[in-house]
Amino acid sequence: MTEARLANSSVVRRRSSVLWLPYEPRTAWLLLAPVMTVLAGVTVFPILYSLYVSFFSLKLTRPLRVPFVGLDNYVDVVQQDIFWVAVSRTVVFTVVSVIAVAVIALLIALLLDQTFRGRRLLGALLLVPWAIPSVANGLMWKWIYDSHYGALNGVLLQAGVIRHYLAWLGDPAKTLLLIANAFVWKEVPLAAILILVTMKSIPEDLYKAATVDGANRPQRFLHVTLPSLRPGFMLVVVYVAMVAIRQFDLIFILTEGGPADASHVMSWQIYVETFRNLSFGTGAALSYILAIATFALAYFIIRALGQRL
Amino acid sequence: MSVAVASGTRRTERYRVRPRAAGIARALGLFVASALTLVYLLGPVCWMVSSSFQNEAEITSVPPHWIPDHPTLRNFEAIVERPSRAVTYETRSKIDPVSGGYIPSTARNLLPAMGNSLIVAGAVVLLNLLAGVPAAYALAKIHFRGRASSIYFILSTRVVPDIALVVPFFLFIRKLGLLDNLISLIVTYLAITVPFTVFILVNYFEALPDELDKAARVDGCSRLQALLHVYLPLAVPSLVAVTLFAFLASWNEFLLALMFTQTIASQTVPIVVASFASDFTISFSFINAAGVIAVIPPVILALVFERYIVSGLTAGAVKG
Repeated sequence: MTEARLANSSVVRRRSSVLWLPYEPRTAWLLLAPVMTVLAGVTVFPILYSLYVSFFSLKLTRPLRVPFVGLDNYVDVVQQDIFWVAVSRTVVFTVVSVIAVAVIALLIALLLDQTFRGRRLLGALLLVPWAIPSVANGLMWKWIYDSHYGALNGVLLQAGVIRHYLAWLGDPAKTLLLIANAFVWKEVPLAAILILVTMKSIPEDLYKAATVDGANRPQRFLHVTLPSLRPGFMLVVVYVAMVAIRQFDLIFILTEGGPADASHVMSWQIYVETFRNLSFGTGAALSYILAIATFALAYFIIRALGQRL
Repeated sequence: MSVAVASGTRRTERYRVRPRAAGIARALGLFVASALTLVYLLGPVCWMVSSSFQNEAEITSVPPHWIPDHPTLRNFEAIVERPSRAVTYETRSKIDPVSGGYIPSTARNLLPAMGNSLIVAGAVVLLNLLAGVPAAYALAKIHFRGRASSIYFILSTRVVPDIALVVPFFLFIRKLGLLDNLISLIVTYLAITVPFTVFILVNYFEALPDELDKAARVDGCSRLQALLHVYLPLAVPSLVAVTLFAFLASWNEFLLALMFTQTIASQTVPIVVASFASDFTISFSFINAAGVIAVIPPVILALVFERYIVSGLTAGAVKG
């Protein structure tokens, strides 16, 4: 991805200036030491400790006896029906969110790619949803979706779409999509900015060549713009998928996994298992499954989209 | 256009008239698209702000009052009120006949929580710069074995979902006796934000020419002096971006704060605001006011420093 190219390009560039840097490794590691120490202590060590914990039956309801159970936590967790419910909810949430963000961000990027008065103001206001804390975002949408006094009901009633107020979040068929909508709203700005930058970097010559070849506007969009946007889309898809798969804040604020487990995603399952059932061993096992799934997801998206570049 | 007879006039007609018609259509299209985008981006926020200025009677009207008929500052006053004047269960009807006591006494926790959030975010920003700048300088301007893998390592730590870190974090912090202490938040937020800081700064430092370094060294500067006197002044835009990202991430973080904080001694704004949301007796107009309070600092920062943020966010994308 980006960082891969960054690393490669700079490694190559650095070769040229090696000669005048005899004593540098020590200085370099000295300068890197604070960051490395923090990351080793606060990320690597905990994640390894989490692996260790996941092999024990550690329950705060029974703190004095912590037997080693090997892979039993993983087996237990996977055998529960709720685990597969959580997996399917997470998959639906992630897929819907990624597609919606990509489409809306593309539309906004196409708009901001034009030159017109107020474009810069619009570009600046684009950052508002991005900057809003996820908790405030959750509250805002909870109030919009409110079944008695919410804005969604108000708008739809005034527009004549519905005849009486509905309990939006209370309907299991809609809950997950409504939460995804709140999530998409917040993630669209960053995605639009990334796609816009990619769009701006498309060489003008490509359009000229296409025009010479007789391509009209929609054809130029299909055959020049869209293929050239692939790197931008890759970044967006990987980023949004990784944020969506671990989404917790909105679930916590909006529905707490309900109604009837309709929004019971993986991260909510981890929370319930760890902090409500106080079963840290199985909680750690679930966390590990989610972490590995995230890694795998990033890897496969990069490979799948990268190959077609 | 069909009016034109001679082919010559037809051509000039076409060049003169069509662009104007097309121009109007284009302007109209752009206007409609911009308006739709604006409503999508700001509509929900405006509704939150409008709700926060309504009293309990107005906010429960059907259909909603999009603009308050009787705007009130009651919700915001409750947040800055001194304890002696605060609404309690006993005094609610006397002090606040309008909202009927729908504002919780914990409303006063919001200001201390803002203090906590500021301390945490400020400390995280400072530590980010102190740790991130030397690291980024080393990765960008020094050749050593393990350079590329160091960058990979730093970035890969962000692939780990925060929720996977919650269990071990919680166990450690409990063991260290740092539950309900701001230090636990500062340290964990530092680990979450510093990879991105390093990534942006490496990008930026790499774009600055190596010759500056060489020249400074020839003039007798040490590595540290070269960094402080030559590169840092040039890197101010990226430092601004990094400061903002670290600040916003710390101000907005919820999950870890939810696990580590227990009382107002360490609770941050998102925690206090979220605590209002789970209480069904609290007026939604007050909850919206709390939401507005939480939203104002990050949104103002984002709008003021928009240019730095966009260039920071796209620093990686342009290269990739």
